[in-house]
Formats: sequence, C-alpha cells, structure tokens
Amino acid sequence: MAEFLFELGVEEVPVSYIRDIMNQLVKGFTDSFTQKRIEFESIETAMTNRRFLLFFNNISQVSGAKSEQIKGPSKKIAFDEDQNPTKALEKFLETNGIKESDLEEIETKKGIYLGYTREDEGDDTKVLLSILIPGILDKMSFNKTMTWNSSGKSFVRPIRNLLAIFNGKTIDFQFAGITSSNITNGHRLLSEEKIRISSFQEYCEQMSQNFVIFSEDERKNKILTEIKDLEDDLGFKVKMTDKMLEYYIFNNEYPVVFTGKFDEQYLDLPSEIISTFMINEKKLVPVYDNSEKLTNIFVGISNVPDESEFVSKGNEKVIRATFEDAKFFWDNDRNDDFKGLREGLKNVMFQKDLGTFHEKTIRIKEISELLSELSGNPEQTKNIGAAAVLCKNDLLTRMVGEFPSLQGIMGGLYLKEKGEEKDIWETVYFHYEPRGFVEDELESLNGGILSMGDKIDNIVGLISKGTKVSSSKDPYGIRRDTSAIIKIIIDFKLNFDLKSAINFTIDKFGIDEEEREKILEVVTSLFSARMEHFLKDLLFIDNDVVNSVIKSNTLFIYKTYMRAKAVFEVSESASIHHLIEIHKRIRNIIKDTETLPVSESLLIEPEEKILFEILNETKLGTEKFLMNNKYIEACSNFIDMKPVVDNFFEKVLVMDKDEEIKNNRIGLLQKLNELLLQIADFSILTEKD
Amino acid sequence: MSIQEIILKLEEFWSHNGCYIASGYDNEVGAGTMTPDTFFKVLGKKPWRAAYWQPSRRPDDGRYAENPNRVQKHNQFQVILKPVPENGQELYLNSLQFLGVEIRNHDIKFDEDNWASPSLGAWGVGWQVMCDGLEITQFTYFQQAGGIELSPNSLEITYGIERLASFLEKKSNIYDLNWSNNVSYGELRTEEEKQFSVYNFETADIDMLRELFTLYNKEAIRLLELELYLPAFDYVLKCSHAFNILDARKAVSVAERTSFLSSMRDLASQSAKLYILKTEGKNG
Repeated sequence: MAEFLFELGVEEVPVSYIRDIMNQLVKGFTDSFTQKRIEFESIETAMTNRRFLLFFNNISQVSGAKSEQIKGPSKKIAFDEDQNPTKALEKFLETNGIKESDLEEIETKKGIYLGYTREDEGDDTKVLLSILIPGILDKMSFNKTMTWNSSGKSFVRPIRNLLAIFNGKTIDFQFAGITSSNITNGHRLLSEEKIRISSFQEYCEQMSQNFVIFSEDERKNKILTEIKDLEDDLGFKVKMTDKMLEYYIFNNEYPVVFTGKFDEQYLDLPSEIISTFMINEKKLVPVYDNSEKLTNIFVGISNVPDESEFVSKGNEKVIRATFEDAKFFWDNDRNDDFKGLREGLKNVMFQKDLGTFHEKTIRIKEISELLSELSGNPEQTKNIGAAAVLCKNDLLTRMVGEFPSLQGIMGGLYLKEKGEEKDIWETVYFHYEPRGFVEDELESLNGGILSMGDKIDNIVGLISKGTKVSSSKDPYGIRRDTSAIIKIIIDFKLNFDLKSAINFTIDKFGIDEEEREKILEVVTSLFSARMEHFLKDLLFIDNDVVNSVIKSNTLFIYKTYMRAKAVFEVSESASIHHLIEIHKRIRNIIKDTETLPVSESLLIEPEEKILFEILNETKLGTEKFLMNNKYIEACSNFIDMKPVVDNFFEKVLVMDKDEEIKNNRIGLLQKLNELLLQIADFSILTEKD
Repeated sequence: MSIQEIILKLEEFWSHNGCYIASGYDNEVGAGTMTPDTFFKVLGKKPWRAAYWQPSRRPDDGRYAENPNRVQKHNQFQVILKPVPENGQELYLNSLQFLGVEIRNHDIKFDEDNWASPSLGAWGVGWQVMCDGLEITQFTYFQQAGGIELSPNSLEITYGIERLASFLEKKSNIYDLNWSNNVSYGELRTEEEKQFSVYNFETADIDMLRELFTLYNKEAIRLLELELYLPAFDYVLKCSHAFNILDARKAVSVAERTSFLSSMRDLASQSAKLYILKTEGKNG
C-alpha cells in the first residue's frame, strides 16, 4: 500500500468557485479509481484560494486485475462449409488481436458463440496516475473561464503548480504547459523559498512552517476564537454573516483578526449605509453595542500578522475615504426632490420590449394592491399602493447608481428623510427582500407584498416575451424571484391562491386568451419546480412525499407547503400504510377512466351504501379541516374510513356485469380518489422500513 | 516617497524587465488601456512589453477638490506584458518591494475583479490588488479586445499612482501628497480639479458636445474607410471623452447611452480588425 499526494497550485481563484473546484477534483479522482479498480483506504482534502490538496492514504500500488469474457460471432457463422474462418470471425480476431487458438466456446440461450477471455493484469498505479491526472484536470468545467498561455487550456485563474507525489516519488506528467514536480510554495507574502515535499507528513510540517494553515476548520476556528476574544474584551457584538466567514476562510492562508476605528462623525449616516459599505465595499465586519447600536469599531481579517498595525491603520484610512464618498452621495441625493424623480423613470427602460420603469411602477401598484387584499391586509392596501408608485425612484439617485446593492434600502431612507409615513417608507425599504431562501427572517409584511408584486411583474413580463429559464441559464434571475415569492408567502403564512394574481398580471401585459394559458402553464411549472427544490433540498422532505403533493393546486403555495409538511409527518407514522393501501386499490381500479356520475338509487349492496354515506360525511369534515389548514386531522379522518373501504372491496365486485352498476361503482371510487387528492396522491408514497 | 519618484522607480523596474517605456498618450483617455500602446498591441501574435505613466480622465469622478480621494483626472502607471509571463504576480510583488514596501507587514490580497470595457469591446479576468484595504492596482489577463479573441493573452498591470502614493506616504488626503520634494499634489491640482468639476457637472455645453460627438463619429467612419485606423481610433477616443462629459452632465438618456456605446464599440472593433489585417496580414 502506498500514499498519493496531489496539490493543484493556482493564482487566487474567487471564493465562489472553491468548493466547486474541489468537488470536481474529488469526483474526477474517485471515478477514475473506480474505473481502474484502484483501491484506497481514505481521502483527505484541503483548499484555499491558492491550493487544492488531495491525499489518498493506503492506495493500491497496482490497479486491480480483471478477467473478462469477450463474445464474438456465433459458431454457426464463424466457419464456412469447409471449416475455414469466415470474414466475421477474421474481423473479430483482428480487432481483438488474438489467434484462432485463443478462441473458446461460449454457451448462450441462442446457441454456441465463439469468444475469448481477456486478462487485464492491472497496471502500476503511479504510471496510471501520470495518464489519469491530465485527463481529470482537462475534464473540469466552469461557467466562466480564461486562457493565459499557449497551451490554450482554460481554467478559473491560471494554474501555476502541480505537485504530485506517489510514495515519495514524483509522478511525471504535463498539463497546461506545466511539468509536475515535488515542489510547492508556502504563504504568498510570508514565505519565499520553494518547498520540496516527499510525503504527506512532510507536507503538513512544511505548510505550518511556511505560514499556510491548510485545514479549513483550523482557519475557521482561528478566526472565530480571535473574534470571541475581541467580543469579550470590548463587550460588543461582531456581526459576521456565514457568507463573510466563508470569504475570509478561503481568502486567507494565515488569517489574523484585526480591528480599527473610524471617526464618530460618520455615525450620523444611516447605519444601513455604513454597514452596507463596510461589508460590500470593504469586506469589513460591523460591530454593535449591547443595545444593538452600530459602533465606530470595525473588524477585518488580514492574511498576515499585524504587530506593526499597518493593516489596521491602512484600513482606517480607507474606510474614512469610503464614508466620505457615501456622505457625498447621501448629501447630494437628499437635496433632490425625491418624489419628483418619478418623472425621470419615463426615460429608464425596465427591459427591452417591456417598457419603462415608470410603466412598471403603474403595474406593480395594481398587482400589489390586489396582493394586499388577497393577503388579508386591506388596511394597508393604500400605503402599499403609494409605496409601489415611489419604489423605483431610487434608481435615479447617485447612491444607487454607484452602489446598486442599495436599491430599495436607499429609496426607503430618502423617503424617511423627506418625512414620509413609516408604513410607506418601510415598504419601499424592504421591497427587494428576500434575495433567496437562506436570508434571515423577513421583517415587513408590507415590504413582502410589494416585493411579490414587483417580482410577479418580472416573472410574467419576461416569460411573456419568450424568456427561457433553465438551471444553467437564467440571466434575469427569474428562478430567484420565484423562490423569493415562495419564501414571502410561507414566512408570512399568506393563505391565498397565487393563480388569480398571476392571471391579473398577465392581463396587464395585454395578452390574448390563447397565449394566456401557455404563459400560466410555464409560470405554474416554474413555481412547481422551485417549490419542489424548497421542500426537498431545504426542508429535507422525502422525494415521494413532495411528489405526492406538488402536482395538484401548486399555486396555492401556502396550502401546498402545509400539505407537504402534514403528509411528511403522517408518512413517518405506521398508519401511513393504510392510506397507501386504500389509495393504491382505488387507483388500480379507476385508472384513467373518464369521470362518471354516482347515483344513490343504483347503489345495491349494503357495503357500497355505507361507503357512500361515509364518503359524504368525510367530505364535509375534510372541507372544514382544509379550510383551516389542518391536514394531519384530515389524514386521520381518511384513515378512519379504512374498515368501510376494506369491507367494500371484500364484498362488492366493482366490475359488475351490468354496465350501469359497474360505472356507478367506479364513479363512487373516483369521488373517493378526488377526496384523497385534495391532500396528496398517497398511492405513490413508499412505506418506510 | 514622492509621486515622481514612484513613477521613476516603476519606469526603472519595468525597464529592467524588458519593457519599452512609452510616453503617456496625448489624447484624453479614461484609462491607460485605451491608448494605442495597449489597445492595438495586445492584438495579433507579436510579443510586446510596454510601460508608461498615463494621466486618465473620468469627468464623473470630480469632487470640486473637496473629497480626499476622488479626482476627475488621476494618474495610472500602465504595464502590458505579452505573452503573459509565468511569474506575473511575483514580478508585481517585486515591483512593490522595489518601491520599498515590506510585503511581510502588509495585507496584500488579489481580490476577484473582472474587467470589461463595453466601448472597446474588451474584457479580461483578474483581480484588484488590495493593500491594507486600499485598492492600489488592477491586475488583468486580457481575453478579448475590439471584439477579437486574444491569442496570446496579455497581462495588464495598472497601478493607481495616487493610491500607491497615499499608501507609501501614509497620507489620507491625496492633496497632501508630495509630487516632488518641492511641490505638493494640492498646489498642482486643486484649481484644476475645481474648474473641471464646475465644467463637467455644471457648465459643459451639452448641445455642443452632442454635436462634437456626431462630428467625431463621422470623422472616425470616414478615416476607417480610408483604412487610416490610427487617426480613426483617435476620433473614437474623442467620442468617448465627449460622451463621458455628457454623462457627468446627466445629459444621456438610457436609450442614447446604448446607441452611443454601441457606435463606439463598432468603431473600435473596426479599427482593431484593420490593425490585424494591416500588420498580421502582411507579416504572415
């Protein structure tokens, strides 16, 4: 058994690519090893923006041997009448490079065939790797790549070093104009010499001597511990998001936490501006005091120790300049007539073919007002409408022109500054939220409603102009908008059917009857796909449960969500067995038959009469439960019908000779099916062990 | 270290590394990238190494000399290396050390920042180099210019001279920087920044600039027909500067912006194609 160490050395790749690069490398290696029957005991990986390390421990020295029977032509056609080989056999011998004496007979159901056993003895793993590695690297792909040298190879950023060691020896190969070696380098700024490596142990020692903390967890702990110490010292709270932490962990090979201060006069700026500028523009973390008030202290992560405080002082200077800029925009914009900017929106195109932002605000106003009513929020409808009219004005402010990530936030702040009512400025302030499912909890229902109005307008408008959406291509972020609407509805428990709002929006674009159905279909499938993703990947609800609820009534988002949660819960209990059984038996009989009427007078057997009665009773009860989103109760209501249904199937023959009676019974089962489908298609659930 | 020492040192460093030291271009440009020594020379196969100090105008960045860091005319030090050297990042860090930066004591980061110039039909991939939080350099691997895929690629290193000087002199207001030992940035530039801010934001004659844009545009088209791509490109640069002032005056509507930019892009890409035709076509 041997050890294999590989390090891909690159110029700083952007943080967003790092996990993807490692996943592709791991998959590339493990797939190749499976294919070549190379075994290994364990794999360790580590990555920073400059290196990707893979270490395979106890890997086989020689790839696995294999013997395989290769089948040729049938014996009948292999020889002619004179027992000489035919063309078919000759061809087989030639392509496989074997002689007639190597042939053996293979018995099959179709008779005797000729063939031979190919023995693959296995190759030296090190030699194999020298061929495999360039292939693995070549197969990696990314949505945005670059070229840098005459090899023409493309990658995220230039590849500069290939360290490949097998049991102390360099694996020789070339890729992208680079020759593999046993050499790597340490920290970009703190280590100068080239480092020679012969084993994983040596790699670990050398890295730590050369200021590279290659373990992701170690870097993370170092950052979090230093921040905790700082918080304890100051008695303040450092507000670091996961996204920022991820950035720091991968952008520094030797992370060191530092702090600095800025002049208190800048605290006069709205705190949202300060924190946005710190985080987005300067990658610095804001610090809050115990009463959640922003302080004039900031925290940053340096890639070198800062004993001389150059890093801290430098950042203090920079942040001052940044705030100076922010102040310039803020003061200038505040002097403008903010509401008057709306006229200017007549000159700003929303999208080609979809008119100006001025026109868009007219549509959003009406859509949002409808959504406000549907959401059971009628007392705010007027405010939401007023906010909708003003919500895009900030696109014309200098601040948003320079810092687009402040859209909405600035509009809200400028309105507040002008003395606008809180219910209106807050609505504008929050109307871009959320930006995805993982965002923190939403704060403003009004903002959420306006956000939905804006986004439904985006989705319907773009789709009506033929915009196609797929997982790899979504230039306008339609999928993100769809997800955001789902989150708003679920977070605020908005119990309404989105279909009416979508139809209303379709009308705003002057679309004819025929087109309307098509667009509604595309929009529905879009919501269905995002809903599926949300339930499966973020709530971890089993696939079969999601599939059982997603097909019916999808656009009633909140109900679909509640149904999925309830069915998921019931599916974990033993009684799910009954529901699956009932529904399967019903579906087996009714299949895809057209809907048939049920007439009470045609019910003959007592068991079917009882079933009819129970069905009607259950239906009434179910309606009540559905109205109140009590799906678990509705399910147990269904389960209570089990004995009656069982009796029916035991005693009554559905396929009666009399066509009328038969159809009546099928109709009865169809009604039962319809009832169950109001919650889920239980027939497609699988029972858990 | 004064600004002029920085420029002299960078010229010395890059001259030692095989660069021809050009003069800055004598036409208003928004960046060193827009000068013929970069725009044309990154095209085609011929190797090229050039370095030069390029004053660059961005009318919209003017702040009436009241902002400590923003000016409507700043200074770039532009380096073009074609083909891309293997040790570009090391060379760059060496140049900082040559300027006296102790790189062990500073948080120098290569931070994702891709570059695109719609008016030049050009884009590249690279970083902004941050030094203790201050962006001091753009570091870009050119992928396309004038709408043409580049092979070989070029490496462009653009130092922001004022930024570098603020860092080296530890000053937070660029007007306090020393240009030489005898004269400060403030003495040299304050009045210029004030007057040009008034001009760019308040008094530039919009109708005249529109007319100029049209005339420059026409002239570029005429010159391209005569296959005089160098003077034609000069007129594209003039269009670009006129456009930038109009933009600072908030006189460009969205629809106009699109058509201005696309006409400049077309002209730039035609100039680029002619350059390739005339040089590569002849030499093989």
